[in-house]
Amino acid sequence: MNRQTLYLSFVLVAGMAVTVLLARSIDARRPPPDPNAIDESLYLNPNTTRRVSLGFNGLVADWYWMRSLQYVGRKILNTPEDVPIDSLSKLNLKLLAPLLDNATTLDPEFYDPYEYAAVVLPAVDLNAAVRIIRKGIDLNPSEWRLYHHLGYIHWQQKDYQAASEMYRRGSQVPGAPQWMGAMVAKMAAEGGSRDTAREIYNRMLEQSADEKVKDMAQRRLMQLESLDHRDILRKLMTEYKTRVGQCPATWKEMLPVLRALRIPVDQTGAPLDPSRVPYQLRAGACEADLDPKSEVLRF
Amino acid sequence: MQSRVDTIAAIAQSNTQTINSQGSLWRIGAIARNTFREAVRDRVLYNLVLFVLLLTVAAIFIGELSGGQERKIIVDLGLSAMLLFGVFIAIFVGVGLVYKEIERRTIYAIFSKPVGRGEFLLGKYLGLCLTLLVNVVVMGLGVSLALAYVAKGWDPLILTLWPAVLMIYMELMLITALALLFSSFSSPALSALLTFCIFIIGHFSADLKSLATSLGSTGARLLFGGLYYLLPNLSNYSFITPAAHGRAPAPGFILSTGLYAVVYIAVILTAATLVFSRRNFK
Repeated sequence: MNRQTLYLSFVLVAGMAVTVLLARSIDARRPPPDPNAIDESLYLNPNTTRRVSLGFNGLVADWYWMRSLQYVGRKILNTPEDVPIDSLSKLNLKLLAPLLDNATTLDPEFYDPYEYAAVVLPAVDLNAAVRIIRKGIDLNPSEWRLYHHLGYIHWQQKDYQAASEMYRRGSQVPGAPQWMGAMVAKMAAEGGSRDTAREIYNRMLEQSADEKVKDMAQRRLMQLESLDHRDILRKLMTEYKTRVGQCPATWKEMLPVLRALRIPVDQTGAPLDPSRVPYQLRAGACEADLDPKSEVLRF
Repeated sequence: MQSRVDTIAAIAQSNTQTINSQGSLWRIGAIARNTFREAVRDRVLYNLVLFVLLLTVAAIFIGELSGGQERKIIVDLGLSAMLLFGVFIAIFVGVGLVYKEIERRTIYAIFSKPVGRGEFLLGKYLGLCLTLLVNVVVMGLGVSLALAYVAKGWDPLILTLWPAVLMIYMELMLITALALLFSSFSSPALSALLTFCIFIIGHFSADLKSLATSLGSTGARLLFGGLYYLLPNLSNYSFITPAAHGRAPAPGFILSTGLYAVVYIAVILTAATLVFSRRNFK
């Protein structure tokens, strides 16, 4: 290696090191980013975006999809409290609807954005959520999942007849699973029941590819299970009060009954909630409460 | 330069062997082979390294960003990159195929042998098509491997992406023919611009047709209707998005689009030969 090569290599390495130092120094002096920049409106409407994508519409749809995930994720990270993805109304997600609309217009067979529109968007913009999924149904009438998504939105809005109608239409699609048919009557007869909710969240857990949606469904199932637990515990404590004349002062007094019913308990005899945290006994009221540290309360 | 000398030498050898229709095929083959060699020597296939890097990074990191959609994104990204890289090669290498020979004056040596203008253009065209074929096949294998990596084994999308690769290749063949046509009478910069414009308009064909039907004026209707049939309908070859959903075009559709490509390419190359024949290289 001659001297000139050595000099040039040294200049190359030293120059790169200086640019890294300068970049760090500029970053440190840069004013904080404009918090409104993240919500800057999209310049192109979905149909224009589709036209100008020149055959790369699938890739552009993927980009809008990832951008909507990043958009929601960044908003959640900037929020100090823990918020479930189906109750994000406080986060001012005004770009979510156009992002999902663009993704689904560019690639109408891309089903994950529809699911996101059904689970996350209603809390932000209900009309947009219904519009996006209706558009999906118009473009993919043989996709039963879209009827399930729209049924879920109606169910969330407590419009059980509309939800039942959606499940009926979905169940008539060739290849739709049998449970879609079962949901028709269940929705119409007992739309507001825990059983219906459990069925919906179980199906969501089973069908979804999105980890956040699965996590939300799992938490909702845990909450439903905890409501059932507390109903049982309340009933047992009422029976105890009838027998003894007062509510139990500690869980130990209930231990034989809990063991007999195979209700899981910790070493102190306190029954455990679905996240394996002991329930708290509200002495004198015959009530079991969730521990504030319980995962069930997280959402 | 070496490949041009090879071309002239190969043609000279073919002439001494036989001067008939088989000789014509041999000469076209010799020009095509040397065009391919020239592309390899010009490091055109280096784009494959960039493509592999892109796919490797995507396969490793896309899972964290895509909400469980990495398989679809790998196919979309891989096939879109294949089309984009292919279009750049078809345009930028295609427009230089004839121009370089003229600029370096090797074309005079070639045409001093009994080589037809059509044979020369066809050989150049087939040589670049061969380069593009190698490119798309290697890229297709890259996408298949990335899919197998993401799916941790066999993935049915690996089978359904190949018809889309074939459609991309047909689109690239059409673009190459257009680049060659423009380069037969204009400068490389203008040829590249014109070919790129046709690539864009070719993807708006459906809009041209709907514009033609929606306009009130008969003249405008005839103009846009005429443009729709005159310009290549490249949206016929856009099967990237369905491939990412595991859907392949029907065999009948592939056949008819293949036939359309063959006829359209034949027309373009005939036009290029007509234009090129009028140029004086003596």
